Amino acid sequence: MQLRVENLGYRVGKKEILQGIDLEFAPGAVNVILGLNGAGKSTLLRLLALLDKPGQGEIYYDGQKRSTMSRCQCTALRRRCGFVFQSPLLLAGSVEDNLRFGPRLRDLNVGDHEIRQVLEKTGLNGREGQEARLLSGGEKQRLQLARVMLLDPDLYLLDEPTANLDPLSVKNIETAIARLAREGKTVILATHNLIQARLLAGEIVFLKDGLLVQAGAAAEVLSRPLSLDIAEFSAAENIIPGTLVLREGRTVLDCGQLAIEVVSERSGGRAAAVIRPEDILVSEKPISSSARNSFRGPILAVADLGAVMALSVDCSGILFTVFVTRISCAQMNLAPGIDVSLTFKATSVHLLPL
Amino acid sequence: MSYFLEGLKQGAALLLPPSSEILQIIALSLAVSGVATLLASLVAVPASLFLALKEFRGKRFLVGLVNTAMSVPAVLIGLLVYGLVNRRGPLGILGLLFTPGAMILAQALLAFPLITALALAALKGIARDARDLALSLGANRSQLAAAVIRQGRFAFLTAIIAGFSRVIGETGMTLMVGGNIKGQTRVLTTAISLETMKGNFELGIALGIVLLLAALAVNIALQGLQGK
Repeated sequence: MQLRVENLGYRVGKKEILQGIDLEFAPGAVNVILGLNGAGKSTLLRLLALLDKPGQGEIYYDGQKRSTMSRCQCTALRRRCGFVFQSPLLLAGSVEDNLRFGPRLRDLNVGDHEIRQVLEKTGLNGREGQEARLLSGGEKQRLQLARVMLLDPDLYLLDEPTANLDPLSVKNIETAIARLAREGKTVILATHNLIQARLLAGEIVFLKDGLLVQAGAAAEVLSRPLSLDIAEFSAAENIIPGTLVLREGRTVLDCGQLAIEVVSERSGGRAAAVIRPEDILVSEKPISSSARNSFRGPILAVADLGAVMALSVDCSGILFTVFVTRISCAQMNLAPGIDVSLTFKATSVHLLPL
Repeated sequence: MSYFLEGLKQGAALLLPPSSEILQIIALSLAVSGVATLLASLVAVPASLFLALKEFRGKRFLVGLVNTAMSVPAVLIGLLVYGLVNRRGPLGILGLLFTPGAMILAQALLAFPLITALALAALKGIARDARDLALSLGANRSQLAAAVIRQGRFAFLTAIIAGFSRVIGETGMTLMVGGNIKGQTRVLTTAISLETMKGNFELGIALGIVLLLAALAVNIALQGLQGK
């Protein structure tokens, strides 16, 4: 299902929950709505699912306008959507009762085989007869997902489906979600879990205080955030504030102790430099290269992240986080107290206005 | 104390077996209060559903009104119904005064705000979730109502039982509009009141036992239903 949202707004009393949202969602990739608690993620999902009425604006479902739909058309459209609630909403009764509720509303007959199949897909094999409200938190979430998958909707709306779950349950649900998108469903997932967003997202929508901050391809939004909020949220390791100045014909960001050379059309005003750790080269000695920025300082700490080692390096009072492979770390004998050189290109510096 | 025990013994003796007069009083009590509760519920259940699910202007005022109506003294409702059904009142032509009809009307009016308010309070935590669940799985309007009623059935049941208990134990108002006419509008509470004042303490106790048993039976039935 193709979704388009135009100038969407929603308010409760005088409080604006969502304001002026323009968005598009397409099938095939997982659309992730990112934002802190209270950013308006759940509200957006509820509006898309026709659970609440927008205060203003329009939603187009495959071109069909929300505002002109009759009650029957709304019901028909809801039957093409599947919603997974953040805190599981289950009927009193068995797992199977819960699964059969949706088909019953549509006067559909579902065979035992299909029930078994969907339970298998969500890792709930053999739980048909169990009392749904006695399941564990992770199982409840998976039951919600199974209940929706059984109906085979075109649009999946998932509201933090893995909040407060153990890692194994998270993995199960994430796998199922990725599969749905691959099968050509439109999947919209709200989360504040950055790792999950990195793992699943094709497209990212970032909301803050009810406003759309940035929307686009996941890699783009995460590596070239348009605002400091996203950079901070996406845990960008190196965010360094300073003042842009022109020096010897080059634009540099004056950060007090350090001046970082950048590429910018502006040559004045406050800005923050965002430098991804993987773009910074670590060496024992200063290296001569075309990279414009090179700083030196002692390692303060070494953290083992599994695949890579993260170093905290103090360059004239500014703390950089950089990644090195396990092997280079051993070869260079990197340890706290040892001085290293950090080198990165001016083009690796992403500037955010302050 | 022995005076009480003696009364209890004699009262119990009057019920074994009960006279046809006592049986008639019991039957009328159950019928009047049962029908009144049923009528009140038929309006109160949809009303509480509506108030729980819909957002609209003036909703808070309406809920406040229902809650206030719950505390209107029964005797005032008796006064109102008396005014409505007496020969000069707007419903006087129906000739309802001092008939079971007037008693049903008064008791239904008494029970309605109570059932609505109690059901609404109990539905608060249930209705929105049940609505979201049913709607998101594709329920149409009637399926939605059915699903919410089903999820909130204990809320309704508890409210209805409370309403019934309130009206079957009501005396003054019932006396005002029913008249306590022997064989026609005499119910348990009005009979207890009359017989005790006449000095027939044992008969009062006997009828009191019946009233208590009726209340108990209803509550046991409720708990049986909730256990399911």
